[in-house]
Amino acid sequence: MSKYLLNRLLIAIPTIFGVTVLIFLAMRVIPGDPLQLIVSESDGIYVLSEEELQAVRASLGLDQPYYIQYYDWMRQVISGDMGSSFWNKEPISGMILRRGPISAQIAIMAVLLSWLIGVPIGMLSAMWRNSLMDHLSRVGITVFIAVPSYWLGLLIILFSVLVFTWRPPITIIQLWEDPLGNLSMTVLPAMALGLGLSAATARMARSAALEVLFEDYIRTARAKGLRETLVVWRHVFKNAMLPVVTTTGLALGGLLGGAVSVETAFAVPGLGKLLVQGMTERDWMMIQNLVLLYGLIYVIINLLVDLSYAFLDPRIRYE
Amino acid sequence: MTSKLNTPPQADNEARNVGRRTFLKMMAAGAAASALAACAAGAPAEVAAPAAAPTAVPTPEAVAGAGMMRPEGNPVRGGTLRTAFGVTMSHFDAHQGGGTHVLSHMYNNLVRNNLVDGLRTIIPDLAESWEVGEGGLSYTFALREGVTYHDGEAFSAQDVVATFNRILDPPEGIVSPLKANFTFVDSVEAVDDMTVRFNLSSPRPFFLNLLTPTNALIYSKKSLEEHNYDLREVIAPGTGAFRFVDHLPAEKWILEANPDYWDPELPYVDGIELLHVPAWSDRGTAVLTDQADMSWNVAKETWDEGKNRPDSVQANQLANFGAYWVFINNRESPFDDPRVRKAIHLAVSKQNLAAAFGTQELINITRWVPQGDPYATTPEELSTMPGYRAEKDEDIATAQQLMADAGYGDGLSGVELLAAAGPQGELLAPAFQDMLKRHLNIETEIRIVERALLGSEQQSGNYQLMVHTRGHSVSDISPRGNLWWATGGSQNFGGYSNPDFDALLGSIDVELDVETRVGQIADAQNLLDENPPEYLVGYTYHLPMWNNRVHGLALDRRIFAEWGRMETVWIDPDA
Repeated sequence: MSKYLLNRLLIAIPTIFGVTVLIFLAMRVIPGDPLQLIVSESDGIYVLSEEELQAVRASLGLDQPYYIQYYDWMRQVISGDMGSSFWNKEPISGMILRRGPISAQIAIMAVLLSWLIGVPIGMLSAMWRNSLMDHLSRVGITVFIAVPSYWLGLLIILFSVLVFTWRPPITIIQLWEDPLGNLSMTVLPAMALGLGLSAATARMARSAALEVLFEDYIRTARAKGLRETLVVWRHVFKNAMLPVVTTTGLALGGLLGGAVSVETAFAVPGLGKLLVQGMTERDWMMIQNLVLLYGLIYVIINLLVDLSYAFLDPRIRYE
Repeated sequence: MTSKLNTPPQADNEARNVGRRTFLKMMAAGAAASALAACAAGAPAEVAAPAAAPTAVPTPEAVAGAGMMRPEGNPVRGGTLRTAFGVTMSHFDAHQGGGTHVLSHMYNNLVRNNLVDGLRTIIPDLAESWEVGEGGLSYTFALREGVTYHDGEAFSAQDVVATFNRILDPPEGIVSPLKANFTFVDSVEAVDDMTVRFNLSSPRPFFLNLLTPTNALIYSKKSLEEHNYDLREVIAPGTGAFRFVDHLPAEKWILEANPDYWDPELPYVDGIELLHVPAWSDRGTAVLTDQADMSWNVAKETWDEGKNRPDSVQANQLANFGAYWVFINNRESPFDDPRVRKAIHLAVSKQNLAAAFGTQELINITRWVPQGDPYATTPEELSTMPGYRAEKDEDIATAQQLMADAGYGDGLSGVELLAAAGPQGELLAPAFQDMLKRHLNIETEIRIVERALLGSEQQSGNYQLMVHTRGHSVSDISPRGNLWWATGGSQNFGGYSNPDFDALLGSIDVELDVETRVGQIADAQNLLDENPPEYLVGYTYHLPMWNNRVHGLALDRRIFAEWGRMETVWIDPDA
C-alpha cells in the first residue's frame, strides 16, 4: 500500500509540473497585457510612455526572462507564499484562505446532494426496472445531465428574484460565523451543481446495480432465502457503489470547473469567481496560483478515489 | 431599441433647459427657487426639449456663495449605506489612476459639483471662496480653516501646493494622468497658510470644472513626503466625510463617518459598505432584493424591473461622458480623405447601432460634446441634423456622392474592422459592417481581439477602423479636443489634423465670454461633422438604481453621472 502510495505521489509530481508550465506559458502567450488593463484605470486621459510601461513592468517582475519568472514563482509556491495579485497587490494565499471554504463547501454540498438524490433513484430504478418510476427517472436523468449547471443557476436566480424578491447573499458569510446566512448563500449554488451530478450518479448507480443484480452471488443470496431488503442492502448496494465512488471522485474535480460558472451565475464570492475576475483583469499571478491549486486538488482527489477502492472492495490490493 | 429608450426623462431635459451656467446666473438674480422647481416638476415626455445655450460666464462670487450642501427633506441620522458596483483597483493613489469611486469618499477637492442640486453648480469644498485675477490669469483660493486629516494633521495651503506640484511635475516613476488637464498652469503657490494661488499661462473658462472630478482630490504634504510621493501602496489619510475602516480585496470596502468632519452637519449615515459587485445584472438584483441600497449603473433588464417596482426602488438614466467610437486611422488611404470619413459619418445610422447594442448598454445619441455639458447640442436639434437624424435617405445619398467624388463610387474592399471580443465585436461591429456594405459598398472584415489588446493596437496605429470606448472626466470640449482631435494631441492616435479646428480650439481654450464660446463650440462641432476624425457611435447612459430609503443624492435629477462622494446621503428607516 505504501509503495503504491509513493508511486502515485511520484507520478503526481510531473503532472503538477506540467500544469504549472502550461498555465505559466499560457498566461504569457494568450493575448492581453495586464499592464494595459491596469493603466486603463486612469480615466482614459493619459497614456503611459514606453519608459513608464517598462517601469511598471519591472515593478511586477515581468521584465525578467520567462525562466526567471517561473523560478521565482515556484520558489514562492514551495515556500508557501503564493505571491501577490498583480491587480491589487493583496497576498493571494489570504484570498484563497478566505474564499476557499466557500467553494469547498459548495462542492461538498453538491456531492452530498448528488448522493442523497442520485443513489436512491438509481437503486430504485434498477430494482424496478422498466416500471413507470424507472422510465420517469431515466427521463429526469437525461434532462438534468443535459442542462448546464450555469443555465440552471441563472434560472434559479431569475425565479428567486422575480418571485420572492430574494437572492443569495453577495458577500462572504463563513459557516462558523453565521450558519444560516452561510447556507442561504451556498444552498442554491450547491443545488445548481448537485442536480446535474445527481443525474450522473443516478445513472451510474442504476447501471451498476443492474449489473450486480444479475451476478451469481445475488441469485445465491436469494436462493438461500435471504430477505430482499438484505440482499439489496448487503450485496447489491455495496458492490454497486464502487463505480459510483469513481464517478463522484472524478466529478468532484469537475465540480471545481463547474463552480467557476455557477459561482459567477450566483455572484458567490468563492474561488471560481476569483478566477473569473483574475482572467478579466489578466491577473497572471492569481490565475497561475488558482489553476495550480485546482490541479493539486484534482490529483489528490484522484489519489483518494484510488485508495478508497481498497476499502470498498476487499479483493483489491495494491501490493 | 426604440427612440423612447434613447430619450432622457423629463427631469433631465428640464435640467438641460436650465444649464449649469444659466442656472448660476439665475441664482445670482434671485431666481434659483423657481429654477429648481422647474427642474423637479413634470411628467416623462417622449420628445426631449431643447437645452438653452449658456449665456453667461459663471461669476466666481456667485459660485462661491452657493453655500454648503444640504439635502432636501428632513435628513435622518444613522444607518449604513450599502452600494453595489465593482470596487477593485490596482492601487490607492487617486492621482495615478486609483479608483476614486471608492477613494473619493475619504477626501475633499478644492471645489466640487453640488450633490444636492444634481451636480448643476460648482461649490466650495476645501476652498471656502476664490477670486479670479485680471484676465482670468490667476485663481486665488481662500482655504477652509480648522480642517484636519484623518490622522489629526491640520490642512493648509502647503498641502494644495504639494498635491498640485506632484500632478504638474510628477517625480520620476510617478504617473500623472491629470497633468494633461493642467498644461496651462504655470505654478501653484501658497500665499499664506490658508491661501493658495494658481497662476495660469493663459485663461481657461473651465478651470474650476477641472478641479471638480473625483480624482482631483487633495493629499496632505506629509503623506506625500512620507511615501516619496507615491501613494499607490497606502490609503493616505484624507479630510473627507468618511474614514477608512477595512478593505477585503474583491469583496468590500468599509468606511465609517468621520466625527471630526469640517462640516459638522455631514455625513448623516454612520458608514458606507462598498460591496464588490462587478456584474451589472448582479448589481441590479442586489438592489432589487435589498442586499444593496444603491448602484451607479445596473443591467438594463434589472433597471426595467426596478422601474416596475416604484414602491420599493427608483431608477434613472443619466448622461455619461464615456462613449463608443469607431476610430478611423486617418493616416491610411482611403481614410486620409475627409470625404470618405464624412461619408461614413453620414451613412451609418446611430439609431440602428443603438438598437443593435441596446441589450448591453443604452446609447445616448449625442454630438461631439456630450449631453450633460452646457454646450451640448440638444436632442431636438440633433434629430434634424445630417448624420444624427433617424431618417437616412438624404444622408446616404450625400454620402454616396462624397464617395464618388473621392474616387470610390464603386465602394471599397478589404477594409479591416477591429473590435474587442464580446458585445462590441458581436453586436456593434457587425451592425456597423452591415451599414457600410449596404449604403457605401464598403466591404469590411471584422478582426476580433481581446479587449486588453485594443489599446496597444490603437497606439501603434495597427488598424483601419476600430470599435472602442473612450471617455473623459470633464465634459468641456477644450480638454477633450486637445487630447483627441488637436494635431499632435497625446491621444490623437488616428493622426487627425485639421488646421481650422486647431485654430478654433485654441480660441475656445481661452475664450471667457460665454456667448462667444457658444458660437465657437458650435463652429467646432460643425467642423468635426464636416471633417470627422472618427465615427461617434454615441455616449452611454448610466442606469443608477436605488431603494426608496436612500435620499440626499438627487439621483433623480442629476444632469450627468458621477461615481463619487456621497456625504449628503441619508437613509429613511421608515420608507
